[in-house]
Amino acid sequence: MTTTTLYLERTSALHRLNPVTKLVALLSIILAVFAVPHWWIPLGIVAVVIVPAAVLGRVGGRLLRLFLILLLPLLVVLFLIQGLFYPDGSTVLWEWGLAQLTTEGLLFAITIGSRLTALVLGSLVFVLTTDPARLMSALTQVGMSPKIAYVISASLQIIPAFQARAQSILLAQQARGLAIVGSPLKRARALLPLLGPLILGMITDVDERSTAMEARAFGATPKPTSLIIVPDPVGERVARWLMFLSAIAVVVLVVVGVIA
Amino acid sequence: MANANAPMIELSGVGFAYEDAERFTLANLDLRIDAGTVTGIVGASGAGKTTLAKTIAGFIPLNEGGTYRGAASVAGRVLAEGTLSEAAAAVGLVTQNPFNQISGARFTVREELAFGLENRSVPRDEMERRVDEVAARLRLEPLLDRSPYALSGGQMQLVAIASMVIMQPPVLVMDEPTSQLDPAGTRLVYDVLSTLSDGGTTVVIIEHKTELLHEHCDSIAVLAGGLIVQHGTPGAVLADDRLTSWGVGETRVTTAARLARERGLLPVERALPIGVDDAVEAFSTQTGAAS
Repeated sequence: MTTTTLYLERTSALHRLNPVTKLVALLSIILAVFAVPHWWIPLGIVAVVIVPAAVLGRVGGRLLRLFLILLLPLLVVLFLIQGLFYPDGSTVLWEWGLAQLTTEGLLFAITIGSRLTALVLGSLVFVLTTDPARLMSALTQVGMSPKIAYVISASLQIIPAFQARAQSILLAQQARGLAIVGSPLKRARALLPLLGPLILGMITDVDERSTAMEARAFGATPKPTSLIIVPDPVGERVARWLMFLSAIAVVVLVVVGVIA
Repeated sequence: MANANAPMIELSGVGFAYEDAERFTLANLDLRIDAGTVTGIVGASGAGKTTLAKTIAGFIPLNEGGTYRGAASVAGRVLAEGTLSEAAAAVGLVTQNPFNQISGARFTVREELAFGLENRSVPRDEMERRVDEVAARLRLEPLLDRSPYALSGGQMQLVAIASMVIMQPPVLVMDEPTSQLDPAGTRLVYDVLSTLSDGGTTVVIIEHKTELLHEHCDSIAVLAGGLIVQHGTPGAVLADDRLTSWGVGETRVTTAARLARERGLLPVERALPIGVDDAVEAFSTQTGAAS
């Protein structure tokens, strides 16, 4: 299947889970790691929950690649800036000119970095193992408005639609002599004529697409049926509530000062 | 409920001008189409064929601003007096550009085909049955698990047609449904339309390929200057001497026969053939061969 997201089609228990369960798990993890002010909690969750989940979902390799491409450069920059130039740092471990490696700066960078790692890796595991079509169906099944589901799905699909249109405009312009060669700046300048027809075309498409949607009875009934039925066993529903309540409990314990 | 003799589609004195337009695209137009027939609409580019298609489907005036007059009814019901949703249930409209017929919100062709059925709350079993059926009819099975955006123009057009056929509307209006299809795909679509018509569906096709219309339509209407200037059997309409003056091309068979007549190969008094069968008969008679 050609998809527009990072989803990887695999056979695994994680893939079979109801997407709403995975979404609630992800949101609970995010809530917990941002509520608790200890860097080892997010890292612990990455080590004990997220990485094993990626292995279980058979997406570990892709997760590692995405980590190296997307997250690692960000973490390096974060550690360099916060670790070396943290304004409130007083315990200096090492210094070189203006740069001062302080314990406070290092701790701050570790805290933010570990939260970011848990957030990004958790979200990636979710996206890598969740078929967007199943996600939309599952969300509609649990009561999300079909119109909101349409907006989300259409946003995910707009990229290939945009690419297809851009490609055809580009071909038409190249056929009429537009040269896309030379330096990157020259190439970027050559692409400017693409923007007008691309954006205007997408705007005029809206009118025709809305006609087509009306013709296909979109919005005709408040309770449309769904071709894809996503199983939602009792166990998963209970697990969702437990995860949600646990995350809320963590937040409450932090607020009242039990976890400090 | 309409009486048995009433036409399925009836347009009486229909006129429409788009907002800020200087002239009426449709001007006092009359058209009657019987139930269960296949009707071709022909006319020059810019003659108002798409506007006519939208008017039959009720999108004009329900979804389009402008000046509208007259009355258009389907199965005895004036669509302009109801809602767009009711009009869409009565008339299925396949728009000209398949790219915009795709919902943009479904990830596979299978789901895309079911989109309209989901919106009509059709039960899942029934949806699956209809998806399989329409996919088999239009040979879409190999595409069912692909993204609608990963298709060629012709494949996308077939999916757009299938996505409307699957909804089984009593009237199906198609605006140039085969513009991007190869000959095999075109034939497939016309075969499906013939089958639908045999089952009682009223089909209206806007099409430039007059050979196809001659072969598959019960009647052809010519749109020129915002009016239906001729409406009759394909034989009568396509043999009309004024055809080219209305911006409609005659069939290639007719063109070939006209050249043959100019060279003395066919008698002047003989009506020009339109389809291949007519031509074979005309030339067989002329050469004395058994037809």
